Amino acid sequence: MAQLEALSKIHHRNIKIDMAATKKQCAYQRMMPVVMSEFLKLSIQYPILFTKDSETGQFVCVVLFGFEDGENLFWQDGEWSAVYTPLNVRRQPFFIGENDQKQNEKDHDYIICINIDDESVDENTGEAIFDATGKETEFLTTMQSILGSLIDGEAQTRKFIDTLLDLKLVTPISLDITFADQQEIRAEGMYSIDEEKLETLDKDTLFSLHSSDYLNPIYTMIASLGQIYALIQKKNSRLEQPSAWLQKTED
Amino acid sequence: MSDANNSSKNSATRSIVIVGGGAAGWITAGILAAKLRSDTEGSIQVTLVESPDIKIIGVGEGTWPTMRSTLQKMGISETEFMKYCDATFKQGAKFAKWVDGSEEDYYYHPLMLPQGFLKMDLAPYWHKYADKISFSEAVCFQEHICEQGLAPKLITTSEYDSVANYAYHLNAGKLADFLQKHCKEKLGVHHILDNVTEVRPAPNGDITAVATKNNGDITGDLFIDCTGFKSLLLGEHYSVPFLDKSDILFIDNALAVQVPYDDEDSKIASHTISTAQQAGWIWDIGLGTRRGVGHVYSSQHTSEDEAEHDLRSYIGVKNKDLMIRKIPIRSGHRKIFWKNNCVAVGLSAGFLEPLEASALVLIELSATMISEQLPADRNVMDIVAKRYNEIFLYRWDRIIDFLKLHYILSKRTDNKFWSDNRDPDTIPESLKDLMKLWQYRAPGDMDFTSNNEVFPAASYQYVLYGMGFRTDFSLSQTQLTEQAQADDLFGRNMQAVKRALATLPKNRDLIKKLHEHGFQSI
Repeated sequence: MAQLEALSKIHHRNIKIDMAATKKQCAYQRMMPVVMSEFLKLSIQYPILFTKDSETGQFVCVVLFGFEDGENLFWQDGEWSAVYTPLNVRRQPFFIGENDQKQNEKDHDYIICINIDDESVDENTGEAIFDATGKETEFLTTMQSILGSLIDGEAQTRKFIDTLLDLKLVTPISLDITFADQQEIRAEGMYSIDEEKLETLDKDTLFSLHSSDYLNPIYTMIASLGQIYALIQKKNSRLEQPSAWLQKTED
Repeated sequence: MSDANNSSKNSATRSIVIVGGGAAGWITAGILAAKLRSDTEGSIQVTLVESPDIKIIGVGEGTWPTMRSTLQKMGISETEFMKYCDATFKQGAKFAKWVDGSEEDYYYHPLMLPQGFLKMDLAPYWHKYADKISFSEAVCFQEHICEQGLAPKLITTSEYDSVANYAYHLNAGKLADFLQKHCKEKLGVHHILDNVTEVRPAPNGDITAVATKNNGDITGDLFIDCTGFKSLLLGEHYSVPFLDKSDILFIDNALAVQVPYDDEDSKIASHTISTAQQAGWIWDIGLGTRRGVGHVYSSQHTSEDEAEHDLRSYIGVKNKDLMIRKIPIRSGHRKIFWKNNCVAVGLSAGFLEPLEASALVLIELSATMISEQLPADRNVMDIVAKRYNEIFLYRWDRIIDFLKLHYILSKRTDNKFWSDNRDPDTIPESLKDLMKLWQYRAPGDMDFTSNNEVFPAASYQYVLYGMGFRTDFSLSQTQLTEQAQADDLFGRNMQAVKRALATLPKNRDLIKKLHEHGFQSI
């Protein structure tokens, strides 16, 4: 159970973060929200899609890690096995919280929170977040910049999605997949760019997408769909060595 | 040759005038204008004339699932519609105390067909389990989710899509306002606020125009009478007789009240609750911000005082100061609905007690048929009118049969209302015949062979077996060879129940999320 606390110099002064353990938080996540600024790096390995937030029904951009609940095919041998790790994985165990203590204009809208129940958090091993004098360490500064990119990125991505929805460029995709063991699944609730619709857009609309710097992410999303095949292959190769896979998860 | 051409051009249908606003007028305007593309140059014009002085009767606040496609075809966002009209989800009706009046006496008429209904009929196979589980519980998962107060979809489900089939509960007055705005802004409907003072006839009996107080004569090729009980064109102008059906359906009065919720977290039922009383029944409809409750009763069998007393005891002492409104009801319909170039839609065509929410669906069916079969020219209008009249007489008769079915199987004896309802002289022959057939077999599609049916055979099964009727299958026992398949379907239904209970949100919670986030259009 996550116990979120606002990060405090006083309460969390001695806390250390075990970087090897942080990503474990995401070991059983089938998908992860992502922001537009990381699309290009993501597209090298992950399919980037839209899905609906289960709490609000609003569209979000996500990358797919697996096909079933709890399946993350990038989590291998107890570590994250990919060239690029999404910001929302790297920020663990930190979170962005809304600042409900905000008293005047100068105060920030957001504050940094930490999940103190996370496995990676203790006072013995790993990276310190404050040094002996109580100053923020370089490690924490990096984390702050990741969280900063996420805050900016989420707002930017929100606008991107709203624009695509207005133009009716978002369309459901259905994935009917048969794996090596003949297991058939239908992945539902996934959406991508409506390529046919995109082709019929008029000059003015295309130009306005271009000026908003939306054309690149649109084509990156389309191109990233091919990574679904790579993901299927990952799954199949696991299925072919089931015993090896089981042993690895047990230790 | 050129004369014939001219005359046909002169009598082409180019303009439709709807007289009367309200739910009937605006639903009709919306369906017609969307289908006829009235917003485009050169298309058939739709004009709605509405009196600024006449108050709208908020007929029934329950719809059928058909309302979803009706609104969708008009290009309406479900989120906007539901927010504006204070709408909630309706997954059917729960009939309480209709059989013997006891506390545990209830059954459901859900909006989903029994499991596998299009492939096989479960009714005969359910009979051997009838002591253990009700028909609706055994063949459909909807009653289970209604009893738990769950919604028929998720916040991630797209607009108009569903997990379980649903209709709406809504504020009918707000629906008229909402549609008015949409029809004017998006569908190209002309709106004239004025009082109609006179009807201008042509020598052949057609209406050429309706005269108005401030806007002069409004001419048209087809006139649609949506003037409510007044029936200004069909009833008053054409004197088409009203066929009174109170010899079959005795309800002749309604007492209506708006009941506030205890607080903003109070449960909202996702079905209409209809509770039988000594001489009628009480409807209970949960909207987003209040409940609409009303007692319909037969004044031949109880007094207004007693009816009000029954209603007040239903809504409880904490609501004792609420104002109750009385609405007289006349069960029946016009002898024909389309005469010359005038067709009546809504209350002007007829009214029946709101037991199965037939008022709004009849408006949708009427407007849809008019829009689909709109006579292109006056010289084919009489043919369309004849067909329209045949089809709608059939539909009214079937609705009357189905409503009556709810009464004839009751075992209540607390008022003569119930025994009078069971009196064979008050039951239509068509229904008596069906009841005889159903002694030996379940209601099936062969009983309802028109493609203009209103209620499917499944609805008859739900009510029939819900009321405790049992078919005697002993003479056809040897034909019942699919027990294994049937058991499989019963099993699947139980799995569907489990899945639904595990995933669907509380109805109130989804309504809140709808207001906060809305549904996505895809």
